[in-house]
Amino acid sequence: MNSAEVRLQALSKHYHRVAAVDDVSLTIEPGSMVALLGPSGCGKTTCLRMIAGLVSPSSGDILVNSERITRVPVHKRNIGMLFQNYALFPHMTVSENIAFGLDMRGIGKADAVKRVGHALDLVRLADFGGRFPSQLSGGQQQRVALARALVIEPAVLLLDEPLGALDKGLRESMQVELRALQRRLGVTTVMVTHDQDEALTMADRIVVMRDGRLEQVGTATEIYQRPASKFVATFLGASNLFNGTVERRNGGETLVTTGAGLSLSVDGVAADARDVVVSVRPEAVVVNRLNGSSPPQNVPNTIVAEIEQVIYRGFISHYYLKLQDGQELIAYQQNQTRDVAAAYAQGEKVIVRWDRSSNHVIAKD
Amino acid sequence: MNRRLSGPGAWILYFITALLMVFILAPLAVVVAMSVSDSYFVSFPPQGFTLKWYGKILQDRDFLAALQLSGLLAFSTTMGSLLLGIPAAIALTRGRFPGQDLLKGLVLSPLIFPALVTGLALMQLLSAMGSGDARINLLIGHIVVTSPYVIRAVVTSLLLVDYNLEDAARTLGANRLKTFWRITLPQIAPGVAAGALFAFMVSFDNYPVTMWLANSEYSPVPLVLMRQLVNVFDPSVPAMSTVIIILAVVGVLILERLVGLRRAAAM
Ligand SMILES: Nc1ncnc2c1ncn2[C@@H]1O[C@H](COP(=O)(O)OP(=O)(O)O)[C@@H](O)[C@H]1O
Ligand SMILES: [Mg+2]
Repeated sequence: MNSAEVRLQALSKHYHRVAAVDDVSLTIEPGSMVALLGPSGCGKTTCLRMIAGLVSPSSGDILVNSERITRVPVHKRNIGMLFQNYALFPHMTVSENIAFGLDMRGIGKADAVKRVGHALDLVRLADFGGRFPSQLSGGQQQRVALARALVIEPAVLLLDEPLGALDKGLRESMQVELRALQRRLGVTTVMVTHDQDEALTMADRIVVMRDGRLEQVGTATEIYQRPASKFVATFLGASNLFNGTVERRNGGETLVTTGAGLSLSVDGVAADARDVVVSVRPEAVVVNRLNGSSPPQNVPNTIVAEIEQVIYRGFISHYYLKLQDGQELIAYQQNQTRDVAAAYAQGEKVIVRWDRSSNHVIAKD
Repeated sequence: MNRRLSGPGAWILYFITALLMVFILAPLAVVVAMSVSDSYFVSFPPQGFTLKWYGKILQDRDFLAALQLSGLLAFSTTMGSLLLGIPAAIALTRGRFPGQDLLKGLVLSPLIFPALVTGLALMQLLSAMGSGDARINLLIGHIVVTSPYVIRAVVTSLLLVDYNLEDAARTLGANRLKTFWRITLPQIAPGVAAGALFAFMVSFDNYPVTMWLANSEYSPVPLVLMRQLVNVFDPSVPAMSTVIIILAVVGVLILERLVGLRRAAAM
């Protein structure tokens, strides 16, 4: 399949002066899979529907392979779209559904039959061509919708919360299947999701959106390990956020102190920064017993905390902790022995520490 | 709905339903019974049994002409109100324009305004416009009366169609016309059929508007019936009515066969 590059240039959509999508610029590499991720109402669907041509932008441009398609009507765009509720035509059989796009393109009967058969094979539904959508399970309907969108060999594939209606187990296997298929066909794909796991599992690049704007664009690792804002840090997984003041600079190393008397050694603080926010992922935090010894003083990235609650989650436990000044702290730790989680008493003082490489300075709110 | 009613409450409900059916069907049964009465005036219960009144009306030229006129009128009215009503319903549900709600109210208005007044107004308007052909006037009048039924039925079923289906068709390469023809229309077929049936029936037995627009040359069935009723009240009147009832039932059965009216009634 020919892979297309998609470019959004300062794309905006206003509904009665309210911006649903606000000045979005983005380049989507040919053959890649990009996920628009963000909370409900942040403009993901509107973005996708503008690419499809179902919503006309208030301003900005959409380019496919450098060709401006902003004003091209939907039915001439050659874009495959998967709708959240599948939108299969209830009065047509599976084969007729898949053949619809070919029919609209004036493709001859014999050729169409061959292509429909191929598409059915692709989604492993070879024996289901004669059924009606109402006779299929949710997962099967999903695959028919996918076959219908792919059979027209679209320049771009758009997926709006593609797996939202499936139950958890099926959703996870479909994520893998969909991703494998997308790789194999090499079709440029934009998907919309509010599920961070889905975005992390499926996408080459993740676009985090908030209130119609782009918040951060990057690979899963970039976004998870180096969130650009508090919003991203807490939307994708959990984060411990510390408000601190830059204390001392010592070559490459900078010390940041927080209200609780915690000092953090961090890299990458702007030269003129005074107040900064540092994020630490819960899985980086190591919890240890005090064992009666006096707590270490002035050791960076180390502090005494009090156990509020420990929740056993199988191979890990979630530790809910509280610092001296009342700030809450979360730690995820792999369980080593069978009884370790039970061994901590509520209110017990523990020592928590983490590696300095886990400290990440957040640039904006 | 697949939940079944049960218990004493259910029996009360069944009883009320049965009572209602009797209430609706009894007058029709009385009409049919009177039409076979072997007497010179309409009487109930019927005296004896005869089919001679049917023989009589089937030779009555006025009645046959009226039947033909009414059939043709109802058919043309149905076509006309579908041609106007379906696009109007689409505009009202899918379009977006200022004053849409107001217009929706206005279009549905003849259901609210008394038909007698509508008829009078139409007669004055049409004669002011110099339209002298009673058949044209009747057609226009009936379309005015029936299109709201079509619009209402089609609007109701359009609101039930998932607009994602239309969007999906468009992304697959269908323009708006093809989308309507291949996707939307099959979805709203029961609604269109219900609207068409209403239009046909309403046109076929409309009296208050017809009365103003017909003339002695072109008199549809309801007028002929009324005239007969006033002149000689013999069992040929219930016989005519029975013929109309039979035609109506046949019409409903055909439609049920074609599109499943029960689906339409679920709206
Ligand atoms: N047709 C519309 N008319 C008015 N407001 C709309 C319309 N479509 C979307 N919006 C608004 O635009 C914002 C973004 O919506 P949407 O793109 O559906 O968000 P998401 O898909 O991220 O949940 C929401 O605040 C929504 O209420
Ligand atoms: Mg959405």
